[in-house]
Amino acid sequence: MSDQTPTKTIDECGKICPYPDVDTMTTLKKMKKGEILEVLIDYPLSVERIPRNAKRNGHKILKVERVEGPTHRILIEVLGLK
Amino acid sequence: MITVVSGILVGALFGFSLQRGRFCMNSAFRDIIVGRDFNLVKAVGVALLVETLGFSIMAMTGVIKMAPPALMWGAEGVGGLLFGMGMVLAGGCASGITYRAGEGLVGAFSAIVGFSLFALTTSAGVLSPVANFLKTNTKISAADGSPLTLGNIFGINANVVGLVLSVVIIAVWVVLALRKRTEEEPGEKPKSIWEAIFKKGWSWPAAGIAVGLVGVLAFPLSAATGRNYPLGITAGWNNIWQTLFVPGTVMNWGGALIIGIVLGSLVGAAIAGELALRAPAPKVLVQAFIGGSLMGFGATVAGGCNVGHVLSGVPQLSIGSMFDTFMIIAGCWIMAYFLFIRPMNAAR
Repeated sequence: MSDQTPTKTIDECGKICPYPDVDTMTTLKKMKKGEILEVLIDYPLSVERIPRNAKRNGHKILKVERVEGPTHRILIEVLGLK
Repeated sequence: MITVVSGILVGALFGFSLQRGRFCMNSAFRDIIVGRDFNLVKAVGVALLVETLGFSIMAMTGVIKMAPPALMWGAEGVGGLLFGMGMVLAGGCASGITYRAGEGLVGAFSAIVGFSLFALTTSAGVLSPVANFLKTNTKISAADGSPLTLGNIFGINANVVGLVLSVVIIAVWVVLALRKRTEEEPGEKPKSIWEAIFKKGWSWPAAGIAVGLVGVLAFPLSAATGRNYPLGITAGWNNIWQTLFVPGTVMNWGGALIIGIVLGSLVGAAIAGELALRAPAPKVLVQAFIGGSLMGFGATVAGGCNVGHVLSGVPQLSIGSMFDTFMIIAGCWIMAYFLFIRPMNAAR
């Protein structure tokens, strides 16, 4: 696997539905192709929904891993069309 | 005692299914326009089909007696719209905030406080004249005085309509689904049945079937305790607060159901390692409280929330519940547009 250092990190822990998803989508839109977004999140529904939607929008999911308890770390490589 | 045990058991199954299936109607309806994700609305569709099939068979065989909510267009129009707007602010529907309280989401606690406060004052307190006015003055019933359903507006047996409709839709859906089996869920496949049930989030068909079966189970069990209705949330929360603070109130099936939902979700979240107290910023807690308040008022005016009307009234083919569902979706989309879609487009 190539370099997976995130270009940008957003902390969505504690946020209510669907702010983590909306923040992720908005941030992805502002980023450039090839950059990596790290999303820290503890809301189970969005842990599954964010990768699903990012993938559908053409981005690449590099990693979805559990940090601790409900907290997950999602790494998304920006590939989608602007 | 049996009432409480029965309510808690059904509630626990409901809460566990909601938590594992991530089943929430706010997300289901809102995701159609925010993010264009259809997973949860498909789960809602499956649950409704399972219930419509189950209810009609049980009614035909005499296991249950249908109790469809009446059409009260003013009450369901206003109440449904406000409920739909409120759930977007609150970050969850009535069942959604209840199961998320079990997961430890403090935002959901805040929404429940607002929800209960306004549900109580609208059902029995200062706001009750508003609800009563809308309910009594906009009611439309069938010629024989019974609630309007997809059956009696056409002069046919509602149970037959339910049976035929659900079987046909299920058959068409299954055929279509088998034709294009390309959709691969992202993420790793679960390694065992234990992991699939207790560790991973359920797929939408599994979530829909589980929630639908809980609804089917709920109807006869609730009716056996004298409450002839399937699942519901609003009256249950009211009952809990009244049991705690009004002397002489006894916990009923609906109240026990709520306790079960919270417990079932808590257990499900704990096994999956998703249980933890977590709070949003204070501003969001206020937003969730306001959203919850709109939901409590709306649900009481309309005579039901997304569970009482959508999950329990629609499968009984109640026209009132279908209208309420329509208005909840309208309210949800209006609020989601201003809260999420406009800001997202502006960020382009």
